Amino acid sequence: MMSDLLTMLPPGVLMVIVAAGLGLVPHHARQVVMFLAIAGSAFSLTAGAGMHLNLELLGFEMALYRADHLSLPFAIVFHIAAALNVFYGWHERRAMDHVAGLSYAGAAIAALHAGDLITLFIWWEATAITSVFLILASGTQRARHAAMRYLIVQVASGVLLLAGAAMLYADSGSLAFSAMTLGSAGTWLVFIAFGIKAAFPLLNGWLQDAYPEATVVGTVVLSAFTTKLAIYALARGFAGTELLIVIGCLMTAFPVFFAVIENDLRRVLAYSMNSQLGFMVVAIGIGTELAINGAVAHAFASIIYKGLLFMSMGAVLYRAGTVKASELGGLYKFMPLTMMFAIVGAMSVAAFPLFSGFVAKSLIMSALSYKGLVAAYLVLLAVSAAVIQYDGIRIPFFTFFRRESRKQVTEAPFGMLVAMGIASALCIGIGSFPGLFYQILPYSIDYNPYDANYVLGQTELLIFSILAFAFLMRFGFYPPELNSTVLNTDWLYRRLAVQAGRPVLWAVVAVWTSLISAIAGYRDAIWSAVERLVHAPITGPTVPGRAVLIQTLVLVAILAIGYLVAG
Amino acid sequence: MSANSEEAQKLARMGMWATRVLLAIGAVLVVLEFIIHRHGKIALEDLPLFPAVYAFFICIFIVVVSIFLRKIAMKPEDYYDDE
Repeated sequence: MMSDLLTMLPPGVLMVIVAAGLGLVPHHARQVVMFLAIAGSAFSLTAGAGMHLNLELLGFEMALYRADHLSLPFAIVFHIAAALNVFYGWHERRAMDHVAGLSYAGAAIAALHAGDLITLFIWWEATAITSVFLILASGTQRARHAAMRYLIVQVASGVLLLAGAAMLYADSGSLAFSAMTLGSAGTWLVFIAFGIKAAFPLLNGWLQDAYPEATVVGTVVLSAFTTKLAIYALARGFAGTELLIVIGCLMTAFPVFFAVIENDLRRVLAYSMNSQLGFMVVAIGIGTELAINGAVAHAFASIIYKGLLFMSMGAVLYRAGTVKASELGGLYKFMPLTMMFAIVGAMSVAAFPLFSGFVAKSLIMSALSYKGLVAAYLVLLAVSAAVIQYDGIRIPFFTFFRRESRKQVTEAPFGMLVAMGIASALCIGIGSFPGLFYQILPYSIDYNPYDANYVLGQTELLIFSILAFAFLMRFGFYPPELNSTVLNTDWLYRRLAVQAGRPVLWAVVAVWTSLISAIAGYRDAIWSAVERLVHAPITGPTVPGRAVLIQTLVLVAILAIGYLVAG
Repeated sequence: MSANSEEAQKLARMGMWATRVLLAIGAVLVVLEFIIHRHGKIALEDLPLFPAVYAFFICIFIVVVSIFLRKIAMKPEDYYDDE
């Protein structure tokens, strides 16, 4: 009976409901309740593929629970990430991170199972509203500002989605969320709404702006869901849209340069994540079965390895009080386990053989080469090499080695180590046994990433990339770590729009006030003319002579117009 | 102070060893290149040592461009603090 009820409920909804009362549960018991909610939500997945809960509301057909081969892998990894986050945040006594984190994960999971655009819109906005508290929980003025910018951008994405959905409904009479072809204004609006959350080039400012301002636990939670929900939405709505290959290449390449010079290591990870999202966007643009499998596999693997890297930097922030590259170094002595986990994360994102990035990325690279897309292939190959420079060198090497530590710190809390340990095991497990992993992908494929050619090529790529770094360091060409702010596309609305907007605002105000004073001038002139005519102030006591004069003039005017009109 | 410089020397030694190990792996890979006769997914990759050369120069290119990017996009830490 209970189980029937659970399989009726869309996955994730239980997590949102439980999160509402989570603040009342004491520490430790709270974590247990969170696990139960996540387990209950995961149990809903046993309903299997199909449409499980439809609702007719105000004449609209809403599909609240649709499951299929595309939503399943995302749902599995979202549940894994949610559970890892409970371990990771175990030390945190405040309820805010946990309430926000659980409801946010729940909303994202529910969004995966939306079968129509209105349901998608509701959960889409719910992820924005729940997740903003992970940034607000930092409690600083800086974080509050970042949180508000984040919320504006996220809600704007939702509004575009709703507007697009309304236009699509007007065009086709259907709200179903299925494959679309770019063309009508409605599809473009939906596309841009997805693009904002997926951090397309120029629409990406919010990601690097907001994520590093969240709490230690908050950044880890944030890294898992929003952008991958957008990847899922793109894969469902716009698979095979060729424009995505171009967007994806730009998105893969540009963040690389920023990741090399940014000083805040959590922000470095946010750039790197943006670049990884580019790989998935390219794969969705290709749209073949192999490519979609690659996009999904990469999303799955990257949620875990990127989460792992964010966890390790969160642990450093928690213990050392900073994640500024210019202030870190030599922590291997104090945090050896965190160091090992960070290296596993780095080797996974760099796609070393036997690590999860390798078995996921090779699907995308193969899909590109089968299609003969050489330029895109070379861009992605370049970034595959470059990833070593930031996620490989700057994160583990500069933080844990390089120079003697300026800080005496202790190893990360137990809960964090458990979360990082499980994530590391998953990274290696997926990379070493890809057969099991490939089974949950949308399309069944016969693919072996462990081909001698490819293993050798990839290893060569990575080792010589590290040697390039060693070469640059040896001859002193490697840029030093500096305390700084590196400008990103959020500058467009944080500075340019403000600076360019101010003169425009002044001009509008100037024109407006001159218009108002001109009108006031005419009004005064008319009044004084009338006054002169009657030799007395018009607002004074009523004088019969003056009233008669005005009425006579008006009547004469009407009479004259009447004659003119009558001809 | 002496303990600190000892630590610095230890790190320097670790770095040196790591570089040697990497150079050794690199050398092994170059040798393997001629034994396995690797062929890549696209024609360009069939060139001998393509991944090694491509990775090496791309990384140097990216670091050089990043140094240039610093000149235009890098601002003091308190740049946005007046918000």
